[in-house]
Amino acid sequence: MTETVAPPRPTRRFTFEWLGVAPFVIFAVMFLILPTLYLVGAAFVGRDGQFTLENIAGLFTDQILAAYWISIRISGASALLGAIAGLAIALAIIRGRLPDGLRSTVMTFSGVASNFAGVPLAFAFISTLGRLGLVTIILKTVFDFDIYRAGFNVLSFWGLTLTYLYFQIPLMILMIAPAIDGLKKEWSEASQTLGASALQFWLYVGFPILWPSFLGTLSLLFANAFGAIATAYALTGSSLNIVPILLYAQIRGDALQNPGLGAALALGMIAITALANIIYLVISARAERWMR
Amino acid sequence: MKPRKFWPWLVFTLGAAYFLVPLIATFEFSLKMRRGYYSFDSYGSVFSDPAFQATFAYSALIGVFAIVVGIVVVVPAVYFVRLRLPHLRPLMEFITLLPLIIPAIVLVYGYIRLYNSSSIVPFTGSALGTDILLICGYVTLAMPYMYRAVDTGMRAIDVKTLTEAAQIMGADTLRIITSIILPNILVAVLSGAFLTFAIVIGEFTIASLLNRPAFGPYLQNIGANRAYEPSALAIISFIITWGAMGMIQLLARFAPRSAPVTD
Amino acid sequence: MLTTIALPHSWCGYGKVIEGFKAKYPGITVNELNPDAGSADELEAVRANIGNMGPQAPDVLDIGLAFGPQAKEEGLLQPYMVSTWDDIPADAKDAEGYWYGDYYGAMAMLVNTDLVSTLPTDWSDLTKPEYANSVALAGDPRASNQAIQAVYAAGHAQTGSDEGAAQAGLDFFKAVNDAGNFVPVIGKAASVAQGTSPVLIAWDYNLLAWRDSFEGNPQAEIVVPANGVVAGVYVQAISAHAPHPNAAKLWMEYLYSDEGQLLWLEGYCHPIRFNALAEAGAIPQDLLDALPPAEAYAKAVFPTIEQQNAAKEVITTGWDSTVGANVSE
Repeated sequence: MTETVAPPRPTRRFTFEWLGVAPFVIFAVMFLILPTLYLVGAAFVGRDGQFTLENIAGLFTDQILAAYWISIRISGASALLGAIAGLAIALAIIRGRLPDGLRSTVMTFSGVASNFAGVPLAFAFISTLGRLGLVTIILKTVFDFDIYRAGFNVLSFWGLTLTYLYFQIPLMILMIAPAIDGLKKEWSEASQTLGASALQFWLYVGFPILWPSFLGTLSLLFANAFGAIATAYALTGSSLNIVPILLYAQIRGDALQNPGLGAALALGMIAITALANIIYLVISARAERWMR
Repeated sequence: MKPRKFWPWLVFTLGAAYFLVPLIATFEFSLKMRRGYYSFDSYGSVFSDPAFQATFAYSALIGVFAIVVGIVVVVPAVYFVRLRLPHLRPLMEFITLLPLIIPAIVLVYGYIRLYNSSSIVPFTGSALGTDILLICGYVTLAMPYMYRAVDTGMRAIDVKTLTEAAQIMGADTLRIITSIILPNILVAVLSGAFLTFAIVIGEFTIASLLNRPAFGPYLQNIGANRAYEPSALAIISFIITWGAMGMIQLLARFAPRSAPVTD
Repeated sequence: MLTTIALPHSWCGYGKVIEGFKAKYPGITVNELNPDAGSADELEAVRANIGNMGPQAPDVLDIGLAFGPQAKEEGLLQPYMVSTWDDIPADAKDAEGYWYGDYYGAMAMLVNTDLVSTLPTDWSDLTKPEYANSVALAGDPRASNQAIQAVYAAGHAQTGSDEGAAQAGLDFFKAVNDAGNFVPVIGKAASVAQGTSPVLIAWDYNLLAWRDSFEGNPQAEIVVPANGVVAGVYVQAISAHAPHPNAAKLWMEYLYSDEGQLLWLEGYCHPIRFNALAEAGAIPQDLLDALPPAEAYAKAVFPTIEQQNAAKEVITTGWDSTVGANVSE
């Protein structure tokens, strides 16, 4: 297809193009870049208005470090488990030779469930695993197993991870489906012709190809969970010690009694999610090679 | 073939159980408002609550504005980048990825500090200004999805040929975008629109920190103060989101293709 | 317009109070901010909105007694003396009119009797194993006056006096947490009904209102502890940076009028002009009967401002390090 190069035009045409992109650029600057840069800067400004590294140092107190650590662990756990479960389900519906309609139903449902995060999800899990939740009651009456007496609580590490999985798994399914589609039929047929078993196919061909997409989406899932606040807040109010809730309490009520520290908290969050997303970008750029 | 089908079915069943059980449990809990037997009392209570009607209407309205602003901001930009400024594409991709990197709570913190009464653009100085800030916040949140939807839509139609044909007929750029391009990518745009709507309806963080009477904070408040209505609201929320997503699936069948994909 | 903050509708019947105010002044719209805000959050809202004439800046505050002097010192309040000023007891108001007591109640426990079979009778019962995963406060002890006073009350029960009560309270809740009985949520009606926190510690007026809202489903009882009955006064104040100071003054006049005070009484709170109203015979008998029995208040301790301030200091700073209620494994 011939490239139609635009011949030199009068300036009016040129202005038009930039005018068209201008709203986008202005918007991005005002509502994305400036606020972020402002916060990054504010993290380095002390109470007296001078440049200081004190706020960053202030992040290294017990309470805040504990908050970061538990956020990292919950995000990591829900990302890892979500990625594995999502991969399994995606493989099942795409390559498992299940009835056709199942795939589109699961994909639609994944779209819904990945957006279900937040306040309603908290209610759903309280109704399921709360003291009076359906599953709790069934386990108590049918299996005579009181999970609360055994120490379980929706507000624990595992309870929260279990809740987060509800939007992590669908996100994984949505993101890895194109990659699984990219595993051309010819490859599995070729490997069968060469005498490889299904296990060998996956071990030497399938998983190595999926691996970059898997890792990349894993990072995305991690960043997704790390920034999530609405679900946890709806479950516990502002007393749970994870980073987003800490930041929320700081914004609302200056719980840390130090705006600079709040900005530093935000900076820490950005740093961690940025790292996760850079990993995602780098890996998925490499994974693109296999898609063509 | 039987053993090979066992594992996929097992995985699918376990997955289905994990996702369906909470929904069933929530529905069941929502029916328990009247002591001793099932009833739809909690739904009645929810629908007759004036705060429900007010906050839902508010969020729906904000959602519509967010969709319109999103289209105005994204569509021309994607169009021009595709047509004449392809070197800007990586920059656009990066910008539209930023909302996924920067959590919403960090963004709204920045807005509050940056756009308060003492700044050049005092958004939070008035109710209307704060509403505008809220809309812009939502457009930002939805931008990755709106961009991807519009980009996919434009990829499927041959923008260059359509533009040239329209120019030969004497249309100016504005006319081209509104009368030629937009109708052709309408399905993709609507997908982005429904996704934006789904995001706006349930959003909590930005609305609560900007103190606007949106649906998200209302859900949170009910969740703390009422016992059975929250589950009813969760089911209603789910049905609305399902509706929005279902519309997107439906629309995907009507996506036009006027030329082979060229890039 | 009037911007309020931290006024849940079930707290002292504020829902009816706001409706009454709107009915009296139809020209004033009431913009309600964050009903879940604690006293510290309210002060932060004032600080964060200095110079902001928009809807995020609160006009009027309803904060714990200890927060009044602190706010006045910081210059966050403006003085105003309502027409019924003289009816307010001297130890519940600032002499210069910067803040003034509005109502009081006593700290008690709400127990969901569908889930908990034995009622606790005193604070020390809360460490017993039958209350595993059950006990919660109704606020964040780092910011909410209600939660801070709850910790203080628990400590007071241990020490029998104000000396070291705050620290004793922190140690007590550490014991409750270590026993696995403490639930780190902000407890409310929903958490009691849904079983997340079947034992909830809050002001008795809140507990009564929440129990009413259950309408029998679930069954719940209110327990006033045998020891450590602490009564808390809240104070009203107008923000020094209020965008609508005159609407704020009308609001104050309404609250301290007979009508406003009786609406609070209907919400189970003891309004600050209770004695004056009783003397004037202005209180309907059925409202009096609905209140908790007067004997409960006989043993009640009203901590002074200095005591509350000291306790607030200890509890807000020591909560995380002493109790450290976090996400458990």
